[in-house]
Amino acid sequence: MTRILVVDDEPQILRALQTSLRGAGYDVETATTGEQALMLAAVRPPDAVILDLVLPDRRGTEVARELRAWSKAPIIVLSVVGDESEKVAALDVGADDYVTKPFGVDELLARLRAALRRAEPSAEPVLDIGELRIDFEAREVTRAGERVQLTPHEYGLLTLLARNEGKLLTHKAILREVWGEAYADESHYLHVYVSQLRRKLEPDPARPRTILTEPGVGYRLVDPLRDS
Amino acid sequence: MRRRGELIVGVLTSAGAVVFVTAAIAIVKRWVPVLSLVLYIFAVLPVAVLWGLALATAVSIASMLAFNWFFLPPTHTFQLRDGANWAVLAVYLVTAVVVSALAARARRRAELAELREREAAARAAAELEAESYRRSDTLKTALLHAVSHDLRSPLTAILAAASGLGNPDVRLARADRDDLVATIRAEAERLNRIVGNLLDLSRLESGVAAPHPELWTADDLVLRALDELGPRGERIVAELDADAPPVQTDAAQIERALVNLLDNALKFSPPDSPVRVRVESRDHELLLHVHDAGPGVPMADRETVFEPFRRGDGSVRGAGLGLAIARGFAEVNGARVWAENGGGGHFVLALPA
Repeated sequence: MTRILVVDDEPQILRALQTSLRGAGYDVETATTGEQALMLAAVRPPDAVILDLVLPDRRGTEVARELRAWSKAPIIVLSVVGDESEKVAALDVGADDYVTKPFGVDELLARLRAALRRAEPSAEPVLDIGELRIDFEAREVTRAGERVQLTPHEYGLLTLLARNEGKLLTHKAILREVWGEAYADESHYLHVYVSQLRRKLEPDPARPRTILTEPGVGYRLVDPLRDS
Repeated sequence: MRRRGELIVGVLTSAGAVVFVTAAIAIVKRWVPVLSLVLYIFAVLPVAVLWGLALATAVSIASMLAFNWFFLPPTHTFQLRDGANWAVLAVYLVTAVVVSALAARARRRAELAELREREAAARAAAELEAESYRRSDTLKTALLHAVSHDLRSPLTAILAAASGLGNPDVRLARADRDDLVATIRAEAERLNRIVGNLLDLSRLESGVAAPHPELWTADDLVLRALDELGPRGERIVAELDADAPPVQTDAAQIERALVNLLDNALKFSPPDSPVRVRVESRDHELLLHVHDAGPGVPMADRETVFEPFRRGDGSVRGAGLGLAIARGFAEVNGARVWAENGGGGHFVLALPA
């Protein structure tokens, strides 16, 4: 059974999530502090972690960083409106996604399913995402069978997003990966490249359905034909 | 436009002053001939003070000419029979202009000083206003932060539980359904308490919480608070004192104070440990002690815990309104609330007997 570790210091939230997630077929462990969460994760490694950003003993971001140092389990952070910088920090150190409090279980389950799906890495040489097909060996991208010309940076950006399909990548993470550490803070660079890429790939670049913007956080690539 | 209007008034007044003094000299001259010319200073000085040096100089010259014309022989000409009179007129003119200059300068200085003073006062007032805005801004930010956290936590639990109940992918046993429903109910009640606390605080801060004192016994006060707490207060142990004197107080407000102290004790102590409320009568005071097995309040925080939006450094978070409300209601009733240290949490509510 898939094991989920839920970390939140509000016992009532913990209880509601535990009952609902169990009902959805997951095995649930709970922790109310960062220390307890790290200990539990070490003793019985979870398949995914749901982590509140505000914990009594330490910042959720620190817990995410420590977890990420030795665990590949996807981490979904629970944030609140007004804590944008903390959320971005958590995503930067390796959290996979976030939901904003208060949230419905439906949204959390959808995020969790997507995160768990990604956790099984695909090393396929060809990737199909909606109308798009990326052939990694031939370094070739086609849209509805037609070849799309991409610059090296555009190709790098697209393949990074595509290999992390559904995952929210922060501006910093993308810039670091595609342009290098020195460009980690040049987010305007990224905005320009993303809009170029959308113009080449999206049927309506003004209403993107494949490369989605998470305002102030980053981008995620989704398959418009699959569930959100 | 104003300057021009002022100038016209100045010129007319100056002319009037010269005419008036000339007429006065004509009358006075007979008795005190030596004084006569000097009288024009009474025309020159006010003009210098009110309209400045330029007009005062003009008045000096005009008055000199008028004196020459009307009073120095041959009269009704600008010629002079006695050459020494030229010297007298010249000395008068120089004196008049120098005096005007001094008067005008003194006036300007006084004006400048007044202006500076006014500016300084305005700056101080603006600074004071800005400071009060800054303070109320900080307070508002703290309030918003605390309120949004405190409202959102129960809302998150409610939404998670309700959406779990409604989600077709979530299959729940009977006990689990009951559990989620119980969570929704408990969290809705918690939300209601938070809203009540916010209302209490705003009533206390705006000063509309006027007490209605009546005679009450200590037993009544404690029992009212326990009644209000209901099942939440199951682990509270009451130690009443039958000999405690009655107190004159607003029972509803003291109930709010005591409920908040008890709530605080329940919140910051282990869930299975008892919370004690103890009645003690001491000279002219009725003391209500609230003890819990939690970590207690560190020495350094004994006062700050009573500020709104402070929270204790425990694993349970809250907007920290409870203790501020307890102290607020106590104080409007002439009572005191303080934290004792040592041996777990210990708060005291002292009512004048």
